Amino acid sequence: MIFFPWRRALRSTTIWFSLTVMLSLGLIAGLAPSIAPHDPYEGRPSQTRLPPMWVQGISRPGVPEYPLGTDRFGRDILSRLIYGTRTAFFLALTAVPLTALLGTAIGLIAGHVGGRLDAWLMLFTDMVNSLPGIMFVVIIVLIFRNMLTPTWLHGLFTLIVGFAATSWVSLARLIRINVLQIRSKAFMEAAVALGSSPRRVMTHHLLPNVLHVILIWVINNIPAVILLEALLGYIGVGVTNAVEGGEFTVVSWGGMFFSGRSMLSANPLMLIIPSLCILLISMSFILLGDFLNSVTRQENGTE
Amino acid sequence: MYQFLFRKFLRVITILLGVTLIMFLLMHLVPGNPWDNFSNSPRALLNLSTDKLTQDRLIHSFGLDLPLWRQFTRYVIGDFEEDGTFFCGAVCGNLGPSIQQTGRSVNNILFTPPEGKTFKDSRFGYSIRLVLFGTLLAVGVGIPLGILSVTRPKATSTKISVGLAALISIPNFVLGLLAIIVLASGLKIIKVLPDWNYPSSWIVPAMVLAVMPMASIARVTHASLLNIMNEDYIRTARAKGLTQTRVMLVHVLRNAAAPIITFLGPTLMEMFTGLLIVENLYSFPGFGKEYWGAVISLDYPMILGLTLIYATGILLVNVLIDILCEILDPRLRSLKPQGAQR
Repeated sequence: MIFFPWRRALRSTTIWFSLTVMLSLGLIAGLAPSIAPHDPYEGRPSQTRLPPMWVQGISRPGVPEYPLGTDRFGRDILSRLIYGTRTAFFLALTAVPLTALLGTAIGLIAGHVGGRLDAWLMLFTDMVNSLPGIMFVVIIVLIFRNMLTPTWLHGLFTLIVGFAATSWVSLARLIRINVLQIRSKAFMEAAVALGSSPRRVMTHHLLPNVLHVILIWVINNIPAVILLEALLGYIGVGVTNAVEGGEFTVVSWGGMFFSGRSMLSANPLMLIIPSLCILLISMSFILLGDFLNSVTRQENGTE
Repeated sequence: MYQFLFRKFLRVITILLGVTLIMFLLMHLVPGNPWDNFSNSPRALLNLSTDKLTQDRLIHSFGLDLPLWRQFTRYVIGDFEEDGTFFCGAVCGNLGPSIQQTGRSVNNILFTPPEGKTFKDSRFGYSIRLVLFGTLLAVGVGIPLGILSVTRPKATSTKISVGLAALISIPNFVLGLLAIIVLASGLKIIKVLPDWNYPSSWIVPAMVLAVMPMASIARVTHASLLNIMNEDYIRTARAKGLTQTRVMLVHVLRNAAAPIITFLGPTLMEMFTGLLIVENLYSFPGFGKEYWGAVISLDYPMILGLTLIYATGILLVNVLIDILCEILDPRLRSLKPQGAQR
């Protein structure tokens, strides 16, 4: 990269915080099978609804074997939490880049080609923008749920499509506005005058100049997809319930909210623990995004 | 100005039509029909699926056996009844009959107040009041917080921005549930099922609704203020010897107003998503409660009606924001010839 204030980054506590959180959660996700104490799918009917291990002195005290207790099927909450990290990372690493690709393509084309195509694309963008986002996603989930063959991917796939279909709008607009600003610069005129094809102009001259916008958008939207998964899971159309009682369910934080909702009075921790995880991970991404933002602002300021 | 408004109006109408079309096509892509025995319908869970003959009759009576384009024009423009009389569709404000709540029209469910009450007690009125309350809270707390986080010393401002990042990251249903657990069953300050006639019982739902938008407004305020403070004219103002307050109020805030106001549109959309959750959590009598049932059980006219209301609201707010920005920021007016193509 051209300019990056490594020293400022290394001295800032927020950067250390977010990098530590990301790395450790990434490690947990990668090593999930070897660190999870139990099988997250397997329920034990004799061990249902155990409280966490530090709750003692009631009729059914917690046991150290299940540090955070069990849910109503007797599945270990800690293991489910650890496996849920995998789902969150998978979603963050697939859904957001895919959406970014879509939004960048539309934004670049609209901004660079201009004219009638731009007008139509912007009209379409406005239409998608005026749809109630969450309703859109739920309907897409309902469509794909019955269309695809049930595999473990299918719940995740519908979520990725739903996220991509609604979220490209903000990026496309951002990119378009940036492209419009860049288009008036001298180097663009030079590139066109030297006979670059529109495709070359887009990939070699425009794209490198909007990369920072895309990067910051991606980092800011990773929390969004994790929150969306949690919300859909809470409502009950998330990745977990993809097939009713089927073997192809995916362990996710959203699914933990769904099962936690029914045992709110017995073990409110089932709700608090996954939301703490979401809090940590999305905070770390947001703070990293803030830092990158301040870097680009500084760079623009010194120009 | 009139030409500007007319263009905007045409655009809004086109977008509304497009939104209806997109939603219409999507919801007809969902397999099954409202009476069908498919896995996510509550009727199927209760083993209440309708037999084939009744189903056919119901499908016919709601016009669902017509070709898709006919159904669309039937919804938007209107159609002839069996006996030859013409009824007007969505263009006249008739949102059609609800499928799941037999015998009631969507208009009746959403806009008609209970017996002897005024319009503000209809479902729509309740939701609008909650959103207004929430917006006031979000804007009233968010913007001052954003200003504070810029003007305070660095340590305080870091603390504020970390706190705001945390507030954005908590899912609002968790916040709502925690509020119920702590305030209602723990401290017994509020009731689990409050009486919505007292304004005091609105405070908690409005706060839960407002937290996320508040934090994002504060963050946007922070970012746009910082952007402006890097500009040359601020340095000039400082160099002239103006006081900090005057620089902030006259030079910075005035220029930062446009981006902040532009951001209020997306914030309102966030608010709507929150509304659906919060109304469900607190069993608030607004239209968000209809929503999940309508989607899951494929209540076509209801889905379209809610989509239309939402889109109209968003578009109206966006037009208002555009006008406000033009008034506040004269620079945008000079850009008009290029901006007109947008």
